[in-house]
Amino acid sequence: MSSLEAIAAALFLLVILYFIYDYYLKKKREESTKYVTRELLMCLNCNYRVEQDFEPGDFIGLVKGKCPNCGGLMKIKAIFSVETST
Amino acid sequence: MFSADASLLIQIVWLILLLLMFTGLYQRIQIKLWILVIKSKLNVIKSVLEEDKNRVKNMLRNMGLSTPEELVSRLLDFFIIEPVSIEPTDIIKRMDHLLRVTESTFKQVVGRYLPSLGKHERSLAESSLSIVAAIGLIYRVLRHYAIQSEKEENYILLMQLMYLMPQILRVVKTYHEALDSFMYGKPIGDGVGPLVAYTLSEKCNITSRRVVDDTSVLEAVYENRRLIIVKAEGPGSNVGHPGAVISRIVEELGGRVDMILTVDAALKLEGEESGLVTEGVGAAIGDPGPEKIAIERVAAKYNIPLRALVVKMDIREALTTMRKKIYDSVGVVVENIERIIKENVPEGSTLIVAGIGNTMGIPG
Repeated sequence: MSSLEAIAAALFLLVILYFIYDYYLKKKREESTKYVTRELLMCLNCNYRVEQDFEPGDFIGLVKGKCPNCGGLMKIKAIFSVETST
Repeated sequence: MFSADASLLIQIVWLILLLLMFTGLYQRIQIKLWILVIKSKLNVIKSVLEEDKNRVKNMLRNMGLSTPEELVSRLLDFFIIEPVSIEPTDIIKRMDHLLRVTESTFKQVVGRYLPSLGKHERSLAESSLSIVAAIGLIYRVLRHYAIQSEKEENYILLMQLMYLMPQILRVVKTYHEALDSFMYGKPIGDGVGPLVAYTLSEKCNITSRRVVDDTSVLEAVYENRRLIIVKAEGPGSNVGHPGAVISRIVEELGGRVDMILTVDAALKLEGEESGLVTEGVGAAIGDPGPEKIAIERVAAKYNIPLRALVVKMDIREALTTMRKKIYDSVGVVVENIERIIKENVPEGSTLIVAGIGNTMGIPG
């Protein structure tokens, strides 16, 4: 095999390796973006805020639980999803 | 010796390549390869469809329906025949009629199977079934074109399918992800309009509330101005009929409205930032036509300025649980509304602010 052919074969191999690496990176990026739903509760009395995991049946504006700070009623102010890396 | 063998091998490879090129065989090989790829992607969509069907069936079982298979199969192939468009007279009226009949039929069918369920829970079941039906439709249409193009060895059709597949798969994955939000009633990105309306109503002194056509109408006083807030009735999965309701309100007031401001989620262009708030003119509403034209017609009839605010997001962000950055934009939109009101609507005037979109997880 001439040196030119060896270079061509090496280049071909490099291109193949690059595509495999690129595919792997893309797959990993897609898999790593996961989201978790959180809800923000705010005390109607002292504006104390708590962030916790969403529970089925909850919606914005729902009065839920008591404030650990003053004992007042807590209301769901927001429900949103945040990125979590796996 | 080794070099001579290699040279012979290269010559044979070239000869094969030339033969493939001049006989058109390479195209046949290409077709076979594309068919393989398309079929593998179709199998991915099929497995997503089956998984989502099972999830919805389990959801319906938990809601008290012992045999959900019948309801799922009945609504999975549900279709709407588009109105005749070669005769455009009254097309909006006919389309509106068909859309309303579809909506009521869906509600009636689900209601018949789940009579003891509340309005909120039933709307979640309806939306979840709609999502599975949408994935089912995508699967059936793709399978049709894949089989047809394979049968006819249609190179162009296969190529289109092949290159459209990543985009279609993204849409299917988005629907698949969205199902989680709809099953549990979490607010979605498209709900940014209703959330703005709700936030605005919390800041004002509400004087009256009524529900018209699945749409909430709240009247408030905002810095000596009469503010009418329109949004879909929540917290169920509902988009309401904001166009028809705005048109009705303006007619009731004899056209004495000084501004109509619509707030909606808008699909961003690639490269644009998600959660970006932009201002414009027109009716910001993404319905098939009847609701948007109702707003435009009434605004044009009484010469009412039509202003719009949109929050940019991609399709995945619009259909899945509201991202934090979209939620953060709500405050910015409310500030913009207050600025627009102060700049353009004099004290003592009347204005309508409509939050357009699905109000799931957002009350009012």
